[in-house]
Amino acid sequence: MYSLMANCCNWLKRWREPIRKVTLIMVGLDNAGKTATVKGIQGESPEDVAPTVGFSKIDLKQGRFEVTIFDLGGGKRIRGIWKNYYAESYGIIFVVDSSDVERMEETKETMSELLRHPKISGKPVLVLANKQDKEGALAEADVIECLSLEKLVNEHKCLCQIEPCSAIIGYGKKIDKSIKKGLLWLLHIIAKDFDALYERIQKDTTEQKAAEEQEKRERAERVRKIREESYLCIF
Amino acid sequence: MGEVQKGLLSVIQKLKGSEEQELRIVLLGLDNAGKTTLLKRLASEEVNTITPTQGFNIKSVHSHGFKLNVWDIGGQRAIRTYWKKYLGSTDMLIYVIDSADQKRFEETGQELSELVEDENLTSVPLLVFANKQDLATASSAADIAEGLNLHTYRDRPWQIQACSALSGEGVQDGMNWICSQITSRKK
Ligand SMILES: Nc1nc2c(ncn2[C@@H]2O[C@H](COP(=O)(O)OP(=O)(O)OP(=O)(O)O)[C@@H](O)[C@H]2O)c(=O)[nH]1
Ligand SMILES: [Mg+2]
Repeated sequence: MYSLMANCCNWLKRWREPIRKVTLIMVGLDNAGKTATVKGIQGESPEDVAPTVGFSKIDLKQGRFEVTIFDLGGGKRIRGIWKNYYAESYGIIFVVDSSDVERMEETKETMSELLRHPKISGKPVLVLANKQDKEGALAEADVIECLSLEKLVNEHKCLCQIEPCSAIIGYGKKIDKSIKKGLLWLLHIIAKDFDALYERIQKDTTEQKAAEEQEKRERAERVRKIREESYLCIF
Repeated sequence: MGEVQKGLLSVIQKLKGSEEQELRIVLLGLDNAGKTTLLKRLASEEVNTITPTQGFNIKSVHSHGFKLNVWDIGGQRAIRTYWKKYLGSTDMLIYVIDSADQKRFEETGQELSELVEDENLTSVPLLVFANKQDLATASSAADIAEGLNLHTYRDRPWQIQACSALSGEGVQDGMNWICSQITSRKK
């Protein structure tokens, strides 16, 4: 009886919680399995993927959360765009190809650079040690060691959880439970610290938007001049 | 799969057997960006009806389940208003830029940003072909993405594909991305 009431109370409490909009970024080296993971979460077959050299996003509902996940290209030549999305992200999903031992050093450097960024430090990170289905894939503990993960996340005050998983073994309801578990962990951490994160993100995105708007206006003005000049040339 | 250049055919094959009525692609870019060369690459002999539309410099490719409209956007500001009628129910936007013409990055970026504001193009996926990568002075995809402020386009998926319409390199990769977007859209 007591537990029934407690359940009811919990339910009521949750029901009264406001809907929270949360943006996450999905990053990691090219070929790590980010797009496959995102597709799986969205309930689409993760088979038909092309390398991302750009941006796409998915929206999903999870409890009281409206979650948007940005899937960003991980190739060396496109990684430079990541930083533009840091300000608005509440948390990071970092996908690692656990079977690609040769690129662990590059992975480590990339992650280090990411966590060091002032717009990222202090935010929670979920590491997906992907491709566990592959032979020779590093186990969780080995990935932690290869990336010096403990040191990295302590240094930058990022709460961190690592989940060994495979993005291709199932999708939608049959998605790898570890991916689901990791995502729930990330949202749980975000919820716990929501107000502070919200404030930080409001501040950072307001600044970024203002800078973008100004840049946009300035460019429009420069281009207007160029167009005028070429117009004058004709006459 | 290891196939040679298939261009639009791969997309057509993808569409076969699907419910999709017609896929409407609009291909745009400043003059000299390489649209015509690219079009020739995309529309191999199977798609051979490239008909210039009278009045303005618009070319159309029709095929089963396919409609591709191509036109220049530079120097034709006067006919802008006519574009609208070609933008209706667009499924995919391909924007071509000359990666070696750094002087015009801002201009082409401005054109693109004005274009995507059109309500017909709301949340339409955008493929940017960073063309002329065979030239030594070509900028990288990331630099171009930065130059075009692509990160401010958050309402649609976008992809920047380095390519050389001349050699054909990268063109099929771009079409593969379009294919992957079609499946996503179909659900
Ligand atoms: N065996 C195995 N293959 C996987 C797994 N996840 C992804 N892949 C494959 O790895 C390749 C790359 O996957 P993507 O999802 O495109 O990788 P990405 O991280 O999005 O890469 P970029 O878009 O280039 O940054 C694809 O061929 C996937 O099918 C996995 O868990 N196991
Ligand atoms: Mg990807």
